[in-house]
Amino acid sequence: MKKRTMETSLAGHSPRLIRSIERRLFLRQGLSLGALALLAGCELTDDEGVQRLLMAMSRWNDRAQGWLFNPNRLAPEYPESAITKPFPFNAFYSEEEVTLVDGKDYKLELEGLIREKKPWTLPELYGLPQTSQITRHICVEGWSAIGKWSGVRFSDFLARVGADTTAKYIGFECADDYTTSIDMATALHPQTLLTFRFADQILPPKYGFPMKLRMPTKLGFKNPKHIMSMFVSNEYPGGYWEDQGYNWFSGS
Amino acid sequence: MKPLEAIALAAILAAGTGAWAADAPGKPMKMDEPMHGEMKKKGMKKGDVKKAAKKRESEIKPILEREAAGSAKK
Repeated sequence: MKKRTMETSLAGHSPRLIRSIERRLFLRQGLSLGALALLAGCELTDDEGVQRLLMAMSRWNDRAQGWLFNPNRLAPEYPESAITKPFPFNAFYSEEEVTLVDGKDYKLELEGLIREKKPWTLPELYGLPQTSQITRHICVEGWSAIGKWSGVRFSDFLARVGADTTAKYIGFECADDYTTSIDMATALHPQTLLTFRFADQILPPKYGFPMKLRMPTKLGFKNPKHIMSMFVSNEYPGGYWEDQGYNWFSGS
Repeated sequence: MKPLEAIALAAILAAGTGAWAADAPGKPMKMDEPMHGEMKKKGMKKGDVKKAAKKRESEIKPILEREAAGSAKK
C-alpha cells in the first residue's frame, strides 16, 4: 500500500486548512524547541525526569490551545460529493478484532458531575433530535478523510442530563478499553455531535457502533468510538494516547 | 441434484462462509500482539490499552464519587 504523507494527503485541500495545519505544526515545533532548550540542563538518562518535564510542557501547550480555542468558529463542512469512499478504518487493532457491542442490552452510563445519571438505552438516544454534518476527519498520522455523521448535538445532550457545564473535563470509556477526555468548551461547540449514524446508516461496528463522539475541531484520536460511559469532572482524566505523550487538547 | 453437484455446492458455500468470517469483526483481540497503526511506540502491545483502562478506572472512580457527593451537598 502506498504510504500516505502529509503532502500527498493534503494535496487538493483548501489553502486555509493547509495554512491552519502548518501554523499548528510551526507552534508544535516551536514548543518542542523550547522543551529542548529546557532539557539542556537535565540529565538525559533520567528518563522519568525528562518524561515529567515533557508532560508538563505538553500540559502548558494544552492550556495555550484552550485559550486560543474559539468556541464560535466552525470547522468547514462539505457537499455529499466530497465524501471519501471508502472511509478509512483506523484503530490500534485490526478490523476483524473490532469490538461487537450488543445494541439490545446497551446502556450508556453517566458518572461524575451530572444530575440525572439514569443510563440511556439506544432507542432513547435515537429518539433525541438529530442533526447531520459532513466534515473532515484529520488524523495525527498525517492523513484525512471526509465523512457524514448524524446524531444529537452534544451540548443538547449535556443540558438534558443536567451536566455541570462549568466543570473542566468530560471523560469517555469505550468498549474496546480505549479512553480519552476533552475540554468543556469543545464539548459545547455546536459541531460536536454524539453520533449514531455514518453515511445515513446505523454506525457499523468498524466506525464505532453504537456511538462515536464526533468533533471536527479535534484530531481523530480524540473522537472516541464504542462509547460505553462518560463522566464530567474537574480532575484531569488524560486518556490512553494522551498518557503516551500525545498532546491532550489536539484541536483548533 | 446429483451427489457431485451437491458436494461442489457445499464446498463453495463453506469457502464463502470462511472468507466472510476472515473479514468479519468480533474476533477476540490478540493482546500480546504489537499494536496496529502509526501512533504506537516501540514495544506497545494491544493489551496495554486494557491494562491502562483498568488502572485509570481504579484511580478515577473515587474522584468521581467524591465530586458527585460534593455537588449533591450544594
